[in-house]
Amino acid sequence: MALYDMSRKAMTSDLPLTEPVLLILLSLAGQPQHGYAILKDVERMSDGRVVLSTGTLYGAIRRLLDDDWIERFDEKDASRGRQAYRLTPQGRRNLQLEIDRMKQITRLASLRAALKER
Amino acid sequence: MLTVYRQLLRLYPAAHRQQFGEEMLAVFVDVRADIEKKKFFAQTTFVVREILGLIAGACGEHMRCMLGPDSGFPLSTRSFAMRNGFRFPKTTAVLMILILCGVVIAIKRGEDIAMSLSHVNPSIVPIQPAHSTMLTGLAFFSIFFYSAGLLGWAILFALRRSGVHRLAQMSGEQK
Repeated sequence: MALYDMSRKAMTSDLPLTEPVLLILLSLAGQPQHGYAILKDVERMSDGRVVLSTGTLYGAIRRLLDDDWIERFDEKDASRGRQAYRLTPQGRRNLQLEIDRMKQITRLASLRAALKER
Repeated sequence: MLTVYRQLLRLYPAAHRQQFGEEMLAVFVDVRADIEKKKFFAQTTFVVREILGLIAGACGEHMRCMLGPDSGFPLSTRSFAMRNGFRFPKTTAVLMILILCGVVIAIKRGEDIAMSLSHVNPSIVPIQPAHSTMLTGLAFFSIFFYSAGLLGWAILFALRRSGVHRLAQMSGEQK
């Protein structure tokens, strides 16, 4: 139990995630994607609010690779310069933790807002 | 634009360039192909975003190389790093001053050695003092980054004055 708590604490030390990183992880949650697809997906998911530059995207990708949240995924028909990435089990776990955290905050916010209206 | 992009990629540390350079270039070409169909305003925004993104990204990577993997870059923590609780360590200023002192001392020592060797062996050409080139380089970089910042600010100011952001809000409300 103690070990679980320690690992959970270690994992949650990176939370909360910034919006671009959260969107990148969400983009990879469904299937492996390459850089261009991630950029477009992030823009689509945020209704054009978050538009990443290539410098920003690859800064985040490098960091996520270093932290072992994502990994390279070799596609059979990958063309030159099109490297796909996918979530690792650790990345998926951390994404789920962040989603749970956001759910909890949303629930709390709804409750508080409802109380104030009464 | 592709040439400018390639030149800006050189600002990154060699390891990062080797790992991601080709991918970044390929993604940039794809995005540029999309943007070319759009209006001039969208194209300008794209160019500015890419240039600033590359400069900020390169600075962040160099900082990471100097300070270690757990370090961050002040710009990155606000928008695209994972650890938004990062604070710029105060010891960095001291370390940077120490590094600068080390570089100046090394240059001085190099000059002394070059001077002493030129008497012993005339075929060795004395090392040219680096002070003048270093100062010019620093001045050039300061002017370059200041101009880039000023340009970015001017574009943001123009965007705000044009009311484009209000149009976006209105379209959101209509939905």
